[in-house]
Amino acid sequence: MTGRLNDMQLDALRELANISSGSAATSLSQMLGRDVDLNVPKAFALPLADAVDAAGDPAQEVTGIVLGVEGDVAGAVLLLVPPDGAATLCSLLGVEPGSDVADSALGEIGNILGAGYLMALSSMTGLSMMPGPPQVITDLLGAIVASVLAGAVGHGETALVLDSELDITGEPCAISFLLLPDAGGVNDLLAPLGLAEASA
Amino acid sequence: MGELAVSGTVGDELVAIGLGSCIGLALVDRTANVAGLAHVVLPESQGKTEPKAKFADLAVPDLIGQVVEAGALRRRLEAVLVGGARMFSVGASLDIGARNSEAVREALGKEGIKIRAEEIGGNRGRTARIIVGTEVSSQLAGGTRTSLLSLAGGRVAARAGASR
Repeated sequence: MTGRLNDMQLDALRELANISSGSAATSLSQMLGRDVDLNVPKAFALPLADAVDAAGDPAQEVTGIVLGVEGDVAGAVLLLVPPDGAATLCSLLGVEPGSDVADSALGEIGNILGAGYLMALSSMTGLSMMPGPPQVITDLLGAIVASVLAGAVGHGETALVLDSELDITGEPCAISFLLLPDAGGVNDLLAPLGLAEASA
Repeated sequence: MGELAVSGTVGDELVAIGLGSCIGLALVDRTANVAGLAHVVLPESQGKTEPKAKFADLAVPDLIGQVVEAGALRRRLEAVLVGGARMFSVGASLDIGARNSEAVREALGKEGIKIRAEEIGGNRGRTARIIVGTEVSSQLAGGTRTSLLSLAGGRVAARAGASR
């Protein structure tokens, strides 16, 4: 997709993200035995550099959980959790934050959220989107997002970031959930809604 | 990301934060106290023309041009590379970090510019920092700053735009 997305397209994508993250929130809620609140997602289509900035402070250290996405729409799903959030999630699951087991536990959460999200998107669009195994990495936000964007979007000029915030009631843990389709993937998501660009 | 900055003023700080698979390419003229830093994201432009700093094949000639314009002498230019980490072990990224550092090396080789120092690879993010007239350094997330190249000992900077 070469051009900028118009408001109607962004609204449609935001709505897709909204419904998909609702499904993801339900899954997480069941896993943790806690209520999970969902904030209305932001949808932005920006040049790579701006997309990194919009995802958060590039110098902030965060835990990222990445899942590659294959199928009719390819790209990546990226969850970003600040350090205190990662510790909260770990204790909710009964594991020691910072341990090897912690990474596995966080990966599992990524798996469940990612699969929930993609399944909902899949059924709404009729497109297959299958998550790969999760990878957990704690590092500078800028480094994580830029590396995922470079891999997922590559030569696309526009990065599509669908950002949902999941908040676990009673515990400070905001999770940013980003769906990063590759350059062709954006168009594929919009096509079933009749909003794709004329030239593919 | 995909940006570059140049300075001929001693004390100025140029920073590329959060280099994962990206490369922070520093070009310095230690005598003239001129330095430039590009945040390279991808190895080849494949026909794209902008932003130049984003692609290794375009960033190198562009950065050379800009530091020379700021008062550096081409034959004195030296390079420092930071980044090129393998952040994720599987997936579509196909080790972009390694491909980026290879592409930058190749482009520098074509221009005949020596790489003086580097901190490349691994799987951690880094921040590259140039303090003009002092040093080029690399810092891992949560780690201490490592000086890669000292920039001390240059003569007074030729100001950008001064005739030589």
